[in-house]
Amino acid sequence: MDARREEPTEEILRLQRCIDDMFSLLEQPAILHGADPGRIVPGILDVLSGMLQLDLIYVRLSDQHGAAPTEFVQVARSQDWATNPALISPTQIGRTFKHLLDNAPQQWPSSIRNPIGDGEMSILPLRLGLHGEIGVIVAGSQRADFPRQTELLLLSVAAKQATIGLQAARLLAEQQRTDNELDQRVARRIADLVAINEKLRQELAESRLAEKHLRQAANELRLSEARKAAIVDSVLDCIVTIDHTGRITEFNPAAEQTFGYSRDEVLGRSLADVMIPPAMRQLHQQGMARYLATGETRVIGRRIELTALRADGTEFPVELAITRIPSDGPPTFTGYLRDITQRKRSEEELRRSQAFLAETRRLSSTGGFFKRVATGEIVWSEEVYRIFEFDPTLPLTLERILTRVHPEDIHSFNEMLDRQRRGTDYEHDYRLLMPDQSVKYLHVVAHATRHHDGQLEYMAAVQDVTQRRLAEEALAKARSELAHVARATTLGALTASIAHEVNQPLSGIITNASTCLRMLAADPPNVDGARETARRTIRDGNRASEVITRLRALFSKKHASTETVDLNEAAREVIALSLSELQQNQVILRQELKDDLPSVTGDRVQLQQVILNLLLNASDAMRDINDRPRLLVVRTEHDKNDHIRLSVQDAGTGFDPKGAAKLFDAFYTTKSGGMGIGLSVSRSIIESHRGRLWATPNDGAGATFAFSVPLRSEGVIADPSLGAIWTSAVTDTPQIERTP
Amino acid sequence: MTSRSLVSVVDDDESVRESLPDLIREFGFTAQAFASAEEFLASDYVGQTKCLILDIAMPGMSGPDLQQVLSMRGQAIPIVFITAHGDESMRPRLLRRGAVACLFKPFSDTTLLGALNAALQAT
Repeated sequence: MDARREEPTEEILRLQRCIDDMFSLLEQPAILHGADPGRIVPGILDVLSGMLQLDLIYVRLSDQHGAAPTEFVQVARSQDWATNPALISPTQIGRTFKHLLDNAPQQWPSSIRNPIGDGEMSILPLRLGLHGEIGVIVAGSQRADFPRQTELLLLSVAAKQATIGLQAARLLAEQQRTDNELDQRVARRIADLVAINEKLRQELAESRLAEKHLRQAANELRLSEARKAAIVDSVLDCIVTIDHTGRITEFNPAAEQTFGYSRDEVLGRSLADVMIPPAMRQLHQQGMARYLATGETRVIGRRIELTALRADGTEFPVELAITRIPSDGPPTFTGYLRDITQRKRSEEELRRSQAFLAETRRLSSTGGFFKRVATGEIVWSEEVYRIFEFDPTLPLTLERILTRVHPEDIHSFNEMLDRQRRGTDYEHDYRLLMPDQSVKYLHVVAHATRHHDGQLEYMAAVQDVTQRRLAEEALAKARSELAHVARATTLGALTASIAHEVNQPLSGIITNASTCLRMLAADPPNVDGARETARRTIRDGNRASEVITRLRALFSKKHASTETVDLNEAAREVIALSLSELQQNQVILRQELKDDLPSVTGDRVQLQQVILNLLLNASDAMRDINDRPRLLVVRTEHDKNDHIRLSVQDAGTGFDPKGAAKLFDAFYTTKSGGMGIGLSVSRSIIESHRGRLWATPNDGAGATFAFSVPLRSEGVIADPSLGAIWTSAVTDTPQIERTP
Repeated sequence: MTSRSLVSVVDDDESVRESLPDLIREFGFTAQAFASAEEFLASDYVGQTKCLILDIAMPGMSGPDLQQVLSMRGQAIPIVFITAHGDESMRPRLLRRGAVACLFKPFSDTTLLGALNAALQAT
């Protein structure tokens, strides 16, 4: 760029002005800052046109977003067309430079044809921004020396300042634009959100309403379901529902329990397979098919009984009612089943019981009668007519009945009638004397009741016990004979024992007497020795006498008596008598007799006979025992309920606990020797003392036989016949021998 | 020689133990009495005893048991059994097993003396 030579003073002034302008320019950005390009550019144009003598200033600002550039133009006021906007429109001016705009400023021509007047115009292009990215300023002057050095400097500074301002404005604009855009986006978003929110709110409200309805409906349903479930779960009947294909759709707890399946196991399974016995499945399926096809049914709506099948395969009777569930679509059914096993069994038992009762009455010849005491009204059952051999068609009167009562029993019969008037329950035995002179034994058990009108009534059972009586008498006779046999056996066992007991003192007597004689015969006679042996002879004689006394006491009594008996003493006497028998059998006897036991009341001899029997039995039971001591323990002690107990414990062969009840049967015995019958009689004796005789197996070997009798058996009458049996067995030897 | 022989009596019956030794002494023998077989076996008289008067039925060891024990020990003492049980069936068996005699109580003094003499001669 050429600097033109000027006048010195003028030059100083010009420079002075230039520096002023420069400062003005440099202050511009502060003024321009914050403004938009549309204001910055005219400001700069004003300043430049004020400072410099320019004919044309053209500014073109490129748009950073690729839109059309913004163009500004300012011309010197001196130009007469400056007022004609049409001529100086920026677009038009811009078109003049269009072909130059893409070039770098250095490549621009220094002058062009004047676009606003005649001739040439010197131009100076200045880039805005380092690479002209912001735009370009073109300054033009008609002066040929344009631009001068100061003009170049000022324009450069102005371009720089404008660039700074425009860049700031751009940034600001960009920022504002971004902000705006952001604001708009946010606003849009917010609007969207608000819209969505509103929509949601509406939806929520609708949904709440729907939910509320739903909940109400569900609640109602649940209540209804709960009620139904409660009923279904708690009813005792099995409830099973099926669909039209026969598949199980519901199975209540009662059904689970009755059939042995869990609900989950059977749901969806075929009813026929699960609950109906194989034999009846086909029938069921046919019935179902028929109903579905024709609506014809033999079961629905009725109560029927049939056989059902449990999970374990067992069959049982059920009562069944089937209803069709009223609903649209294919039919479904509910079955109500009840296990009637128990009812069936009860019915069967009742039937059997009634049959049994009828049969028993017939077999036992038992009849019944009903009597109203006040009116004397009597109703007999057929059996009673049969027993009395009365014609049932004739009227029944007391007089007529009395014609049958055995004359010897008339008195007790009248007593019975008295008792009836008192209204107490009673039992009565009496005899009938029949026209053929045969005798019938009757047993009556009568129960008094009050009719609801307060009248006394009797319900009674009348049994013809003639056969039993006769049998009892025959049995008593047989037992008596058997007792003889038993006694004979016991006697045989005792003979040796008695002989031993007598022989011992006899032996002493003879030996002592012999010694005595020899001592006296000696020379000199041994008088002291003789006296001693004679004394011993007497003692042994007394001992023999005692044995005889005991034997007499044991066997010679004819009648049972009631006396005070010291069981210990009684036991000792029996033990003394049987000691040798026990010794011979190598029995070790231990006596555990409790001191100071109270006495019992009863027949001493009978009780001793029982003790003897137990001792000999125990001894016998150990006869073949060789691997252990033959220990026999006789024990007396207090028993509960004011009883005294005597027990005899052996170490013998014992007995089978299952045979315990049979031990006392007349013919039951574990021994070949046949002593068993003694137990039967022994028990009779103890029972006549209101006591009890029993046997228990020991923990170890052997058995214990024991009896227990009451301390004071008030009113005990020992059965004299039993004593007589025993006594006669001993005293009446020829009879024993005759007994088979 | 025989007059001083020891005769032992084994019987659980006290009256026999009292009376029999006196009679035996009257016969001219020495006598000792024992209440049981066990007592006899435990005594010092087993070796000296020339004749044993032995009860058959005794609690604990019986007469025949004692006979067997002595036999097993090789102490062959002549034995006269005595018993209060008049069971004839036992006698042959006891005699077969070496007893000199078997007397049933009550027996006479001469019967006893005869049996004792027979026993002492056997030795």
